[in-house]
Amino acid sequence: MAPKLQPRCRFSIRLASESEETVEIKFGLISADSHIVLDKDAFSRNMSKTKWGDLIPQVRETEGRDGKKVHRWFVHDAPAGGWGVANCPAAMDSPNPELKIFPQRWEEVPPKVYDPLERLEALDDDGIDAEILFPNDPARGQFFAFGEEFELACVQAHNDATGEWRAASDRYAPLLILPYLSPIETIVAEVERGARMGHRGITVLGEPSHTVKQGVKHFNDPFWYPLWEAAQELEMPIHFHESANAGLVSVPHWDGYSPNAFHTVMTSPTAAMVAQLIPNLVFSHILDRFPQLKWVCAEAGLAWINYVCEGCDHEWEQRHLWTEGFTTRPSELVHRQVYMNFWYEKSGIELRHTIGLDHIMWESDYPHTTSTYPKSWDYVEKTLAGVPDEERRPMLYENAMRVYRLDGARQ
Amino acid sequence: MRGHDRPEFISVDEHVQEPPDLWESRLSKAKWGDRIPHLSRQRDRSERWVVDGAPLDLPGAASAGALMPERTREPQRWDEVPPMAYSPAERLKAMDADGVDYAVLYPTIAGASGETFGRITDPELELACVQAYNDWLIEEWAASSDRFIPQCIVPLYPAEAAAAEIRRAVALGHRGVIYPSVPMKLRDVPHINEPEYDPIWSTCQELAVPLCFHSGAAVAGELQPYGMSDAVAGALRNLTRPASTGGVMVNFLMSGALTRFPELQVVFSETGLGWATYLLEYADHQFAGDKLAHEGYALTPSQVFRRQCYVTGWYDQISLKIRHLLGVENILWSTNFPLATSTWPKSWDTIRGWGEDVTPEDRDRILWRNAAKLYKIS
Repeated sequence: MAPKLQPRCRFSIRLASESEETVEIKFGLISADSHIVLDKDAFSRNMSKTKWGDLIPQVRETEGRDGKKVHRWFVHDAPAGGWGVANCPAAMDSPNPELKIFPQRWEEVPPKVYDPLERLEALDDDGIDAEILFPNDPARGQFFAFGEEFELACVQAHNDATGEWRAASDRYAPLLILPYLSPIETIVAEVERGARMGHRGITVLGEPSHTVKQGVKHFNDPFWYPLWEAAQELEMPIHFHESANAGLVSVPHWDGYSPNAFHTVMTSPTAAMVAQLIPNLVFSHILDRFPQLKWVCAEAGLAWINYVCEGCDHEWEQRHLWTEGFTTRPSELVHRQVYMNFWYEKSGIELRHTIGLDHIMWESDYPHTTSTYPKSWDYVEKTLAGVPDEERRPMLYENAMRVYRLDGARQ
Repeated sequence: MRGHDRPEFISVDEHVQEPPDLWESRLSKAKWGDRIPHLSRQRDRSERWVVDGAPLDLPGAASAGALMPERTREPQRWDEVPPMAYSPAERLKAMDADGVDYAVLYPTIAGASGETFGRITDPELELACVQAYNDWLIEEWAASSDRFIPQCIVPLYPAEAAAAEIRRAVALGHRGVIYPSVPMKLRDVPHINEPEYDPIWSTCQELAVPLCFHSGAAVAGELQPYGMSDAVAGALRNLTRPASTGGVMVNFLMSGALTRFPELQVVFSETGLGWATYLLEYADHQFAGDKLAHEGYALTPSQVFRRQCYVTGWYDQISLKIRHLLGVENILWSTNFPLATSTWPKSWDTIRGWGEDVTPEDRDRILWRNAAKLYKIS
């Protein structure tokens, strides 16, 4: 189908999707949340060596905690965290399934996570047709620590490198990251550039003024409206991944937790954080101001959205918020514009008809810890036991095809 | 129970409004002067509470939005505060109008989660303020009707001081203990998970009174409103404040306190149900992924929750369809009167809205049996 831009669209660029084939569905499963692993030269290849020299994000040898020589990412000459040189425990061969393994040296990183062609074989082995690609270390938000110009260079290099994956196979749909310290015109230009490269959405910080600081405007500020407008016109959904790094930590860290217990304590409230971000989209008027813009909550599960819908509707009724310009019932806005992912849960699947079958997508989270790889279909069968085929299809791949325009169509 | 043609209803989360003379009439003016909590007239003639010299973060002279026209503003002066907020006799009429048999009471000025006086650094003044509230609630409310279930507040720290006040208050007739869930955000005290707090947990367990973590004490976990009118910001806060309990709940379930005190009962109040249903399932999933059974945890987060914890609903309908995943014994109901978010005076419309989704047996558990057992109401 020949897609056409709406006449009102002020963006005259030609989208990469217009010339592309439809993704072939062989298995009937699309992961709406996987994580790219960029190869160790991804930034060097896409940034000016003359200008940035050794500040370019790169893999270097350094001394590990036990004194062994290990590899780690360095950004702006500083180590960029992580329990390994790549976050891909689900793809590691582990002698003990009770242990999470993070590769300590680059040669231990399996090519089936960072080589786009080898990774296609991993997808075939796992029975997955396509992946929506979220960032991974070292690109999970820390570029803003080093000033506007460096941040922009890194973000552009990241988006170029993930764009290479789109060029390698239309089974990959990468998401953009944004340069938060740049003027809004530059941010919008990066989104337009990404649209031309074939990126299929944008992943954002839940509250940049908390996370980035440095004078960055609050999420609700009109400063961001041109971004939402561009994303709407270009059909680029906006993504909150997990807690969207919004910094809503209720209880400070306690030294008494082991690293694993701390992980459970810190990650489990994710949904209770996104369950605040979506009401903010409602009550800031962002949803009704940009009515075609889609929002996706990735790796946050499903069932909590009922809290958002019922709670917002309740407040809207009790406080007569139509007198404040909210003419549409909040749950209608949410059902119109918000999408969610699942991978293991019972509660959201039981409530799938209330949530909306056409707003639920499946995710594998490959190659992170919680990933269903390499037994994704076992998880699917277990999670969707008793769910009829005609209800499975939208959740397993049809919705993702539509949301990410993998069928080549524009609305 | 009271006996009428509808099921009983114990509303487990209602707020009393403290009158302006509560502390001034009970604390020594000579000793404490203006440090005593009091209402202070502003230049624009509105009135605001001041506690130990600091203005209270409250957008009015009281929190009684449910009784105000349109529910978009709070009373700005004491003479605007509707008597149903502060008068026990009037409150009984409000309960009758809404079909509520018993009301479990939380403060307003002393803090919905009992946090206000925890900021006072002088322990003597803190204790005087706390005891004045606890005495007043018994004398003015509990003594006037057995339909009021009083709950005490306590000095923040040390735990021995809190435990002593719990013993005193329970002896007076208090039936629950309100404690702010993140005390270390109020002043420089140890992390809530530290065993220094054990005297509080052990005293609650020994006296068989529930420990109540009302939402609102985990401010760092709440998304703050930006660019909104007061009415819209109030609506948003009623989504962000309950959800901020998510981090509080997982932390307390994992802290070890409930393992040390396996009969301690914990109420997470003003939470709603929707996020909690999912959170417990996810916490178990993460618990398994992080292999915590190999690190000495005998029970998963949801198992600890079902054994010892409760959440409270007031408008929820959908989550009740999957109440078995939360635990039907762990759900309590409330009206949240007289806050703007309250279902008053039509709380039964919500309950009737459950329809066929909730069996009569489960409805009775949620509306009163669970609460009757917890608060020993017969």
